[in-house]
Amino acid sequence: MKLKSLIRHETFLALMLVTALIVLAFQSDRFFTVSNLLNQGRLMTEVGLIAIAMTFVIATGGIDLSVGSILGLVAILTGVFWNNIGLPLPFAAIAAIFVGTMAGFGNGIIITRFGVPPLIATLATLALYRGLAEGISQARSVRGYPDWFYVLGQRDVLGVPTQLWILMAVAVIASVILAYTTWGRTVYAIGSNEVASRFSGLSVEKTKLALYTLSGFAASVAAVIFVSRVSTTRSDMGSGIELDAITAVVLGGTSIYGGRGTVLGTVIGLCLIQALKNGLSLAGVKGDGTIMLIGAVLILAILASNIFERSGTRN
Amino acid sequence: MSAAPYASLKGMSKSFGSVNVLKAVDFDVRPGEVHALLGENGAGKSTLIKMMSGLYKPDEGAFTVDGEEVNFNSTRDAAAKGIATVYQELLLFPELSVAENVFLGNYPRTSAGTIDWKTVREKTRDLLDQLDSPELDVDAKVLTLSVAQRQRVEIAKALGKKARILIMDEPTASLVESDVQRLMSVVRQLRDRGVGIVYVSHRMAEIFALADRVTVIRDGAHVATCDIGDVDEDDLVSMMVGRSIESLFPKQEANIGEPVLEVRNLHRGHLVRDISFTLRRGEILGIAGLVGSGRTELALTIFGMTPAREGEILIDGKLVAITSPTRARDLGIAYVPEDRGLQGLVKPMTIKQNVTMATMANVSSGIFLKAGEEARRALDAVRRLSIRCREIDQTVSELSGGNQQKVVIAKWLETVPKVLILDEPTRGVDVGAKAEIHSIMGELVKQGVAILMISSELPEVLGMSDRVLVMSGGQVTGEIDRADATPERVGAAMTAHRTKETAE
Repeated sequence: MKLKSLIRHETFLALMLVTALIVLAFQSDRFFTVSNLLNQGRLMTEVGLIAIAMTFVIATGGIDLSVGSILGLVAILTGVFWNNIGLPLPFAAIAAIFVGTMAGFGNGIIITRFGVPPLIATLATLALYRGLAEGISQARSVRGYPDWFYVLGQRDVLGVPTQLWILMAVAVIASVILAYTTWGRTVYAIGSNEVASRFSGLSVEKTKLALYTLSGFAASVAAVIFVSRVSTTRSDMGSGIELDAITAVVLGGTSIYGGRGTVLGTVIGLCLIQALKNGLSLAGVKGDGTIMLIGAVLILAILASNIFERSGTRN
Repeated sequence: MSAAPYASLKGMSKSFGSVNVLKAVDFDVRPGEVHALLGENGAGKSTLIKMMSGLYKPDEGAFTVDGEEVNFNSTRDAAAKGIATVYQELLLFPELSVAENVFLGNYPRTSAGTIDWKTVREKTRDLLDQLDSPELDVDAKVLTLSVAQRQRVEIAKALGKKARILIMDEPTASLVESDVQRLMSVVRQLRDRGVGIVYVSHRMAEIFALADRVTVIRDGAHVATCDIGDVDEDDLVSMMVGRSIESLFPKQEANIGEPVLEVRNLHRGHLVRDISFTLRRGEILGIAGLVGSGRTELALTIFGMTPAREGEILIDGKLVAITSPTRARDLGIAYVPEDRGLQGLVKPMTIKQNVTMATMANVSSGIFLKAGEEARRALDAVRRLSIRCREIDQTVSELSGGNQQKVVIAKWLETVPKVLILDEPTRGVDVGAKAEIHSIMGELVKQGVAILMISSELPEVLGMSDRVLVMSGGQVTGEIDRADATPERVGAAMTAHRTKETAE
């Protein structure tokens, strides 16, 4: 029994990560250094926050494609609230995060009240929120943030990038919630059989509404960290980030049909992608090659996971 | 009768992992006979059928068809040898027409190589007429058909492939009585035309009315094959369960107390119209009615899935508004739904997780689930309802129908309900588990639980209920006390339309 519980997707993924780290370390002596690895942690925080929220959404059988646009919208609003309206920067950021969270809430309402499939609902708001961001920004970027603001995105706390602390804390908390709480159980139940969940008296609609709202919140926090990291605000920020997040989640073993998945898997998936991107570029592989390799790794991981699934069950 | 078997299986064995589901079973089918296959859920009937239809390969054993040994790799191979199957869950494409479904995969071609639709439609028409179904339109989309009609389309499809052997897996499980009669006459006709039929069913009446021979298997082993004239129902039941069952409907006397659920003039759409009744502590109120009479819709309204638009519901004499299943649960109403796989269980999850699904608050402190408490309750439920399983961490999809149903009941008993609504509680459940579920119901009413039982099986309604409420067309057309409840009276009310006088 002990052995069986170890043969699972996360174990396989962790082995892949270790292998990748070892191989990449031999390819370039600049890869396996503390400062480079910490810097990669810094770079993956935004995708990471979004991917962790996305793990919950996908585990219910849903999806949120609008996170990249919410990120862009919140980034723009942070700049506009501070620069054009003149709010103090902390309030500007909080107000922008609030709007982004409401954007997620809006997704939830469209999905739960009007019964629009999540793929279509968030595909529509992907366009809607991005359009809003572009309309508000008028193609102007905001720069010149006060120096203290860069602590969030460019400095270290106790030798580790500030945002990496946030990512780690969120990962631990989210992991505990999904694995050990009634709420996490409800998420899995909805993803496995939404009808039976409703027939069991679970609050299906409320749970889904909360998840899309949280997904919006995660994208919003990621936006503020993004702005602080790159010192500027542009309306095209975060475009395509939803696909990076979904890739990490699916690579991490979360079933796209719902009902299965862990935060740990997502985090390992995230690290693997980031390691490949960085390591290969240091080893002199061109960007296109890296993307192809990530695609291949994704398919390999899913195939392997299916084999494990099958060996464990009858039929 | 004594024709040589068309298909014959000798010493078939099959294991899944370490589980030996079939142990050297012999079975054969002759042309022009109905051979009933009997066994409890999990006895290995499905596995045997799947081997014959090419879905599973046997580990051991010889399979001969028409005198030559065969080794099927797919259902196509089986179809080529004239073996076709009509499954319990019908496998038609709802968006395609009847004719398109019947010839799917072997469409006749024109000389130009395109599909010859004219022939497809004509041949389909011909096949349906042979099945006495002139009312079925060959151009109708399958999704517009009733279950019974879809079943005839499946049979037509099998005949279209020139089936010599037709395997029918619980064909009457989801049919109403009139459709059952019609299906039986279709089966007899096929037999007379020389088709060999493998008939799997739990319903003894059908088996005695149809079968020429019967084979019983238990725990994966062959128990007996005999001519139907040589056995009676008690023999078959004891062969199936390996013990004799005292009575199928052990009605236990309970003290009937004060009203716990009162429904007054309840309205919700055209299938729940002006419904009033009272349910008392310790009482079993049976709801009889044809499919589509509004029985399930009434249950869904009381359970808050489709909240009432008008009318009153009182629990313990207090007026309540039931707006959601969550609210219904908190008020002490439990509902064991009709469709176990879709509505009752989260199949990929474990027994433990399913048992506590409606009562997570009871097994958690604040937001954290207490693993020990959860396991304790699940073990308790498994013991109390004698759910047969390896462990509480087994997924429910691995359990047999009867044990799955017990898990659903266990989930709702965890809520300590005042009112338990059971919708077709023993559908697709073997005789042994059926008797157990009935005795669980007896225990519950003794403890003062009020039970509302919906069932399509008249003997069950008459045997278990203290009172019978009959529905037709979304209205109550009769309320009959146990003493007066005869099949004739209930049957008459089932087809009655409410007249002006009784409507006040």
